[in-house]
Amino acid sequence: MRDFQARSLSPPDRPHDEENSIAEELRQQQQKAELFAEVTLKIRQSLQLKEILSTTVSEVQRILKADRVLIYQLWTDRTGKIISEAVLPDVQSILGYEFPDEVFPTDYQTLYAKGRVQAISDVSDPKSGVASCLIDFLTQFGIKAKLIVPIVITLNPHSGDQVKNNKLWGLLIAHHCRQAPHDWSEFELELMQQLADQIAIAISQGELLEHLEDMVTDRTAKLRHVNLELQQEIVERKQAEDALRCSEEQLRLITNALPVLIAYVDAKQNYQFNNQAYEKWLGKSPESIRGKHLNQVWDCYDRMEPWVSKVLSGEVVIYENEIQWIDGTSRSVSVTYIPHQEGKGKQQKIKGFFALITDISDRKAIERMKDEFISVVSHELRTPLTSIHSALKILATGRLGSLTRDGHQMLEIADENTDRLVRLVNGVLDLQRIEAGEVTMNRQVCNAADLMVTATEAIQAMAQQYDVFLSTAPIEVEIWADADYIVQVLMNLLSNAIKFSSREGRIELTLRCRANQLQFEVRDWGPGIPPEQLERIFDRFYQVDSSDSRKKGGTGLGLTICRKIIEQHGGRLWAESVLGEGSRFIFTIPPLNYGEL
Amino acid sequence: MSEKCILIIDDEESIQTVVEFGLKMTAGWEVISASSGNEGISRAQADHPDMILLDVMMPEMDGLATFRALQLNDQTRSIPVIFLTAKAQASEKRLFNETGVNGIITKPFNALELAQQICKVLNWTE
Repeated sequence: MRDFQARSLSPPDRPHDEENSIAEELRQQQQKAELFAEVTLKIRQSLQLKEILSTTVSEVQRILKADRVLIYQLWTDRTGKIISEAVLPDVQSILGYEFPDEVFPTDYQTLYAKGRVQAISDVSDPKSGVASCLIDFLTQFGIKAKLIVPIVITLNPHSGDQVKNNKLWGLLIAHHCRQAPHDWSEFELELMQQLADQIAIAISQGELLEHLEDMVTDRTAKLRHVNLELQQEIVERKQAEDALRCSEEQLRLITNALPVLIAYVDAKQNYQFNNQAYEKWLGKSPESIRGKHLNQVWDCYDRMEPWVSKVLSGEVVIYENEIQWIDGTSRSVSVTYIPHQEGKGKQQKIKGFFALITDISDRKAIERMKDEFISVVSHELRTPLTSIHSALKILATGRLGSLTRDGHQMLEIADENTDRLVRLVNGVLDLQRIEAGEVTMNRQVCNAADLMVTATEAIQAMAQQYDVFLSTAPIEVEIWADADYIVQVLMNLLSNAIKFSSREGRIELTLRCRANQLQFEVRDWGPGIPPEQLERIFDRFYQVDSSDSRKKGGTGLGLTICRKIIEQHGGRLWAESVLGEGSRFIFTIPPLNYGEL
Repeated sequence: MSEKCILIIDDEESIQTVVEFGLKMTAGWEVISASSGNEGISRAQADHPDMILLDVMMPEMDGLATFRALQLNDQTRSIPVIFLTAKAQASEKRLFNETGVNGIITKPFNALELAQQICKVLNWTE
C-alpha cells in the first residue's frame, strides 16, 4: 500500500468534431455551474452535518453516475469509518464500515492533508500503482475505479500558518464497480474537489456552530448559576431583613415595656427613635417626634444643651433635670447620654447618642423626707439636750445640795453620755448636710501650719488627759481650703489616735508637699487596724471593736464625715496600718495653684 | 463682775430655767424670762435688760421677727441681742449675722459657761 501513487490525470478525451467538442464543453460547464449552485444551495439549506453529507454523496453519485459515493471520516487514532454513502441498488453497501489504521498510514494522511487527489481508472492495472494486497481489499467491495478527494478543514482561519492549521477530516470517495477502466474527467475531479471543499466549510461551520452552542450552553449555565446565586442572595437578604425587622420589633417591644424614656438622637440633635414612654409620659408619640430637633420637643432645652454638647464630644453624660409631665406636674429625672461612636482614633466620629431618662421623683421625695426628718429630729433634740446638759452640769457643781459618792458617779455617767449624745446629733446632722449637698465648703487661702497648730492646741488637753505625747511639724504652705472643716478633720483624726494610743504613747502630725498635692498624716503607734477593715472603718457607725468604741465614747460617724469633707475639697482620705505597729491616716489636698484659682 | 439683768426669750421653759440657774450661779446675774416674741418685747420695754438671749425657733413670732421688732422700737433698739439657735450651719450663721445681731450661741450649750460666752461676745469686762 505504501507504493500506492497518484497517477497524473489524463487529459479529457477530445471529440473529433471540434464544434461538438466545444458545445459539449459549454454544456458541461453550464451543467457544472448549475450543479455547483444546486448542490451548494442544498448543502447550505441545512446546518445538520449528517444531512449535508447525505445530500453530497447522493448528488455526486447522481451526477457522476458512480456506483458508490461515500464519505470516510478519519479519527485521531488514524482509524476511520464510512459515515455516509450513496450506492446503486445492485452494488454492495459498505456504510458503517470501520477500517484499521494500517489502511491509512500517517504519511498518507500528511499527503492528503496537503490536498493530494487520487484518481485511479483501473485498480487492477499494475500501472495504477495499487499494491497487490490492497487490490484484494478493494476487490472484496467490488471496486474497479476510484477517485479520492481529501476533505481538509482549517482549524484556526485567523492564524497565519495555513498548512499547520490544516487538518485532514476525511475523504470523499467515488467508486465504479462494474466497468474499468474509468478515466476520471476534469469535470469529475473538479466537482469532487469543490464538493469536498463545501463539506469542509460545512464541517467548519458545524463545528463553529457546535462551539457556539457549547458557548451558549456554557453561558446559559453560567447565567443560570448567577441567577441561582442572585436568587439565593435575595432569599438571604430577605431573611436578614426579616431577622432585622424581628429584632427591631423585639427591641421596640422591650423598650416600650420599660418605664424609662429611651431615644436615639443623631448628631444634628434630631430624634431618630423614641419608645412609647414618650407618649405615656409627655403625650408625644414616637411618630410625631421622629426627625424633630430636641428644642422642638423640650421646653427646657436650655438646661439640656450643655450636656448634649458634651455627649456629642464623645463623653458619657449623667445629670439630673426637672421635666414637665403630661399632667402638668414637674418630675425629677436622671438623664444618661451615651455617645454613639464609629471608627477609632482620628477616624472616630460621633454619629449621635442614646438617651435614657428615668423618673427619680419618688426617690428624690424619699431623700428629701429623710433629710428633713434628720434635720428636724436633730434640731428638736438640741433643745432638750441643752436643758439636760446644763441641768446636769448645774447639779454637778454641788451647789444645789451635796450628793453621795455614788450619786456623783451616776451624775458623771449621765453627763458624759449627754456629751456623747450631743456629738452624735451633731455628727448625724453634719453627715446629712454634706450628703444632701447642703454644705458648701467656704474655701479660702489659708496656711497649713496655722491649721495644724490650731488642731493640735485644741486637742492638747485631751492628749494630756490620756497621757499621750503629741508632736507636730507644721510647714508654712498656703492651701485652698475651708479652714474650719480641715481643722475638724485634723482634730477628729488626732482624737482617734489619742483614744487608741496606750499611756505615754506618741502621736505625730506631719505634712508633706508633693508635686500636685499636699499630704497630711496622723501617725500613731497603737494596736493597728486589721487589713480587711481598713476601708470599712470609713463606713458610718462601723468600728473596729465595738467594745472599744463604747469605751472611747465615739459616735461611729467621725471618719465618714472626715472622708466626705476631704472629698469635697477634691482630696482623698485613707488609712494604712500594720497590726501591732500602729496606723497612719493620710489625706491629700490639692495645692493652692491647682486648678481652683 | 457688775450685776446684770438678762432677758431670756424662749418658748421652752426648761431652757429658761437652766439659763436662769446657770447665770445666777456663775455670774450672779438677774434673769427674767419670756415665753414668746411678743411677751419678750413687752418685758424688754418694761424692764430694760442689759442684754437679750433670743431663741430663733419659736411658734407664731420667731426669733428673727422678734429681733426686727426690737430693732424698730426706740426703747429696745439699743439692747444687745444674742441668738440661741439649734441651726449650726455656717450659711445659717451668716444669714443671722447679716441681721445685725450681736452674736450667736449654738444649742446645745452649757448653762454654766453661758455667762462667759456672753461676756466674750459682747466684750463685757469682768
